[in-house]
Amino acid sequence: MVSKTEEDQLIRLENQVENGGGGAWEYLCLVRKLKLRLSDKVFKYGFALLSDPKKRSALGPEEWTLYEQVAIAAMDCQHLDVAKEYIKVLQGKFRESKRVGRLEAILLEAKGRWAEAEKAYSSLLEDNQFDQVIHKRRVAMAKAQGNLSGAIEWLNKYLEIFMADHDAWRELAEIYVSLQMYKQAAFCYEELLLSHPTIPLYHLSYADVLYTLGGVENLHAAKKYYAATIDLTGGKNNRALFGICLCASALAQLTRGRNKDDKENSELQSLSAEALEKAYKQQSPTNVSVLSSALRSLKVSS
Amino acid sequence: MGFSHAVGVVGVLMLAHAAYATIQYRSLLKITEEQFMGPPITVVVELVAGLFFCLWAALTVPGKFLLILPQSDENRVVALPFNLDFMIFNHRGKAFSLGIDMKIK
Repeated sequence: MVSKTEEDQLIRLENQVENGGGGAWEYLCLVRKLKLRLSDKVFKYGFALLSDPKKRSALGPEEWTLYEQVAIAAMDCQHLDVAKEYIKVLQGKFRESKRVGRLEAILLEAKGRWAEAEKAYSSLLEDNQFDQVIHKRRVAMAKAQGNLSGAIEWLNKYLEIFMADHDAWRELAEIYVSLQMYKQAAFCYEELLLSHPTIPLYHLSYADVLYTLGGVENLHAAKKYYAATIDLTGGKNNRALFGICLCASALAQLTRGRNKDDKENSELQSLSAEALEKAYKQQSPTNVSVLSSALRSLKVSS
Repeated sequence: MGFSHAVGVVGVLMLAHAAYATIQYRSLLKITEEQFMGPPITVVVELVAGLFFCLWAALTVPGKFLLILPQSDENRVVALPFNLDFMIFNHRGKAFSLGIDMKIK
């Protein structure tokens, strides 16, 4: 989870390195810690750092982790020759290393030689059957080839063994959503919520999926999860506020004949509409009129 | 920083002195065979003063306190970490080319 202070720190370091002050190594460490995918910046600064033999020796034993990080960033930026050079350096230092073998297989993947990469992964798996990262790379390879159903199959097999891996559940949920299999995506998000109930973004995604599924029960549940998101973010998440308004109006449309829970529904909707207007007045006063007309049309149709 | 430390030390010393004075007062009462009603008023005043000094030092010595609310402006979650294990390289970035000088020294 990247918090605001960490993001500010990252931006500050980035500006510092961009304008010629030092701090490239701190920036790269921060990116590695926060697990961000800023491959072009990482490649630029890492390459400059590693090409300078003085700075390289100043790093000491940390330079090998840097080699690995910059090699992956190079592959992401499609500079495969640079990646190959770095992997050769790592191979020279660490012979017979699983980690370097994995990097080689990732390089084959990046070059597009799927069959060879598959062979490399299977051979690595023979040595250690329960290597999580290799299993996940196989899923990624299936995804990269466009074979989403194959990726789902591999990922399901992986999750049968490693049920606690929340990153994998998140990936599976996103793949299901991209294939419009919302019921299965809802199940994955439920697993995520069980393991990490304090992250408001998971509540928000689950509520979105429930709202997309539709139906009276799902809309009630979606409203509850939007409300949970608002609770966890202290009312600052505009998407959740919009979600409540939309859920309330969709529910009112569906239950137009029956007259139950009318007061609670409209009270929540008016409260969130008020909060939205306040937030818009603060952050983008030019759009307040657009917002009010949109909210009015929601209420009118309900 | 040094001043807060000094105030903290003074507060602790005052509390210790108040405790010693109370023990002495009790032993004096044992000699005169009276009941121990409570420490004398000076000792109570010293106790309260020592308490305030210690409190003040405890609050100022650590420096800046961090916020505990998860939705406060500093602690709020801005983004989820990217799933680096599932990263694929078969994306549109192939069409871009970064103009970086790539001679490896």
